[in-house]
Amino acid sequence: MRGASQAKWVVAAVAVALAATACGSSSSDGASSGPANAQGTFSYQSSEPQNPLQPANAMEVGGGRVIKNLFKGLVDYDPSNGKLRNQVADKIETTDAQNYTVTLKSGWTFHDGTPVTAQSFVDAWNWSANTKNNQINSDWFSDIQGYDAVHPDKGDPTAETMSGLKVVDDTHFTIALTGPVSYFEYKLGYTAFSPLPKVFYTDPAKYGQSPIGNGPYKFVSWEHNKAITVAAYDKYAGIDKPKNGGIVFKNYAQPEAAYKDLVSDNLDVLDQVDPSDLASYKNDLGDRAVDQPQGAIQNISFSLYQDSWKGQDKAKVRQGLSMAIDRDTITKTVLNGSRQPANTWVAPGAMGYKDNTCGEACTYNPAKAKQLVTEGGGVPGNKITVLYNADGGHKEWVDAVCNSIRQATGVECVGEPKPDFKSARDLIKNKKVDGLMRTGWVQDYPLNANFLRDVYGTGAAANDAGYSSPEFDKLAAEADKATTVEKTAELYQQAEEQLAKDMPAIPLWYYKTTAGYSKNVQNVKYDSFGDPVFTQVEVKQK
Amino acid sequence: MPDLIEKTAPATGSTEPKPEKPRSLGSDAWHDLRKRPIFIISAALIVLLIAFAIAPSLFTSVDPRAGDLRLHYLSKPNYLHFFQADWFGYDGQGRSIYARMIYGARASVVVGICVTAGVTVLGGLAGMIAGYYGGWVDAVISRVTDMFFGIPLLLGALVVLNAFTTRTVWSVVFALVALGWTQMTRVMRGSVITVKQSDYVTAAKALGAGTTRIMFKHILPNAIAPVIVVATIALGGYIATEATLSFLGIGLQDPTISWGIDINSAQKVLRTAPFALFFPAGMLSVTVLAFIMLGDAVRDALDPKLR
Repeated sequence: MRGASQAKWVVAAVAVALAATACGSSSSDGASSGPANAQGTFSYQSSEPQNPLQPANAMEVGGGRVIKNLFKGLVDYDPSNGKLRNQVADKIETTDAQNYTVTLKSGWTFHDGTPVTAQSFVDAWNWSANTKNNQINSDWFSDIQGYDAVHPDKGDPTAETMSGLKVVDDTHFTIALTGPVSYFEYKLGYTAFSPLPKVFYTDPAKYGQSPIGNGPYKFVSWEHNKAITVAAYDKYAGIDKPKNGGIVFKNYAQPEAAYKDLVSDNLDVLDQVDPSDLASYKNDLGDRAVDQPQGAIQNISFSLYQDSWKGQDKAKVRQGLSMAIDRDTITKTVLNGSRQPANTWVAPGAMGYKDNTCGEACTYNPAKAKQLVTEGGGVPGNKITVLYNADGGHKEWVDAVCNSIRQATGVECVGEPKPDFKSARDLIKNKKVDGLMRTGWVQDYPLNANFLRDVYGTGAAANDAGYSSPEFDKLAAEADKATTVEKTAELYQQAEEQLAKDMPAIPLWYYKTTAGYSKNVQNVKYDSFGDPVFTQVEVKQK
Repeated sequence: MPDLIEKTAPATGSTEPKPEKPRSLGSDAWHDLRKRPIFIISAALIVLLIAFAIAPSLFTSVDPRAGDLRLHYLSKPNYLHFFQADWFGYDGQGRSIYARMIYGARASVVVGICVTAGVTVLGGLAGMIAGYYGGWVDAVISRVTDMFFGIPLLLGALVVLNAFTTRTVWSVVFALVALGWTQMTRVMRGSVITVKQSDYVTAAKALGAGTTRIMFKHILPNAIAPVIVVATIALGGYIATEATLSFLGIGLQDPTISWGIDINSAQKVLRTAPFALFFPAGMLSVTVLAFIMLGDAVRDALDPKLR
């Protein structure tokens, strides 16, 4: 998931909280529920999509959230608990986690009236994976057999279709993977796996300006840099039929402006409260304020590829440093309660999340922290640095973490800011860090494997620490071979225990969705990706 | 005899014919300065600042880096607790703002003085060479000066400082000297060209004095006054520039304590804790003002045309 990790990083860098404010009035009238107007439309704080609206070409939230509403894949995630549920798929069967047979429901149509068939999926995936079409999320298809032929590392593709995809009839197709991936079904919930209508292939670029999908909403208009409007699709065959008439995705360059519009009811649903209004938004919005965990975690990782962090003793030092961080106080003060202290490496809400896998090592205990650091032989020069990007508002908490470490253990600790996200990521990616670095992870799909294998597996694209543990890899490989997702999740919990022993990264806190909605709407819920559940939003009758 | 003249000179005024051993420009200026209240105030402030810089522990016993978020996160100031940790309250990391204000003086004073010394020596030398030799030497130095003049100070400093992985006071000094010396070169060059045409320089030449002797014995003492004036006024500017760079996150870094860094972190909590911004910002303004006032007073004293 090389490409995907980039985007999640951006998201993590943006969502940030500091600042305290205290001049909100305490108005908490708000969410008195009333009769809903099924035809009513509502507006949502969004941003201009980077690319044409093609399902496999939206990694950033601006395009991603629009695509999510225009298209519906085989499966999606239940917004209330993150569990997988069938949408276009009637069933997805496998016996070995490598060969899948997909059966489609009938009755699904695209917004132009043409039916959604097995061919719609297979053609769409082949087109999106093809290196010539330059889709940003094409590596999501890399598990499928024949991906290297349509998307070689270099040069032109040698085939137009992936050998692992075969259409049986209109409602059946088979998927063969290069190896067992038991949670492949989970991946299928990502928008990149959406079906495409025939009309798409005549002119994909033009299509990207006015897409035709099969999702709960159909495209209406796109006023560049201003807004995208979608309307409910009345023949939608999914289980989550829209309870409203449509959505206007309004662009906001300044999150502060969006917040002001929300308070004055000119905007209906907020993406994220801007940092400077965090302290007062609960006062301003009353019970229309939203504050709930999100499927994302903030860590600081160690540069385990440097000699100074090698050896079994150093695991003790790393645990000691983790225990020296007063997560509770820092989240309450410096971060204004916009984060939740972490005691695992998997964010809550993901399937397979198990509370307190980090245990004592993530509990603030200055005395024990100092003792462990000393026992482990300390750190070179008694000094550590924490690398971070200065453009994401991380300075305050990095300083607070460093102060906490310094005062508990006597280890000198300073933040090492890099001017922007890219220069920090370049150093981290090229393994040129000496010390600690800010890392984080936003889920691709709500399953613990995504937080573990894709971050701590040997050689994984997002393994910034350079962590390599034979035990962890062995447990992860076993988990991948399991035939049910439940079993996979359970085996990954065992792998997570290995992280507690080695502490390649210190879990700090989980991200939270801090948002809100206007007086015009009700029943606004957010899923673990931090997106509102668009179809469930009810517009109040005027 | 010289004693007598020394004493009577001020009373008799400037129409007095030049005495045999006249009072030097420096001591003349000193006489003038001592009587100016603006000089006395700014000098007192500067002495205090230098005391902060040399021995901050005399003014506070609190560790400026020690913070307790649990107890002191943005605690309000207690204005009656003079010279105590909570006098000016606590910042967003639970650190004493008073202690940080005192300790922050060191970076500012060191940067201000070292940059001024650096640009005066480097720029002064270049200006003197250009002014004295003239011709192609002057042309080359002047064009190089023009080139450096074309680089906006902040932009240039941003580029230079980005090259340092860890930035200390000395990297900031280096960047500001490297970009700021041209101003002194111009002033010095102009001043040297004027002085070079004086009769005593011609006389020294006629007597067979060497180039170095003429430059440093005859020209330098008479050409330095405008440079000193410009340098003193610029000193305040360098301190402000350091704070600006630190504010932008490209100047000093933790663990160095700088008002610019504190102003940056305070602006994010402005609405709840305005005092966290007020004290470092106020201290910075007072410091810059003190140096600019000093520069003004020195200019008045040194520049005969203003009298």
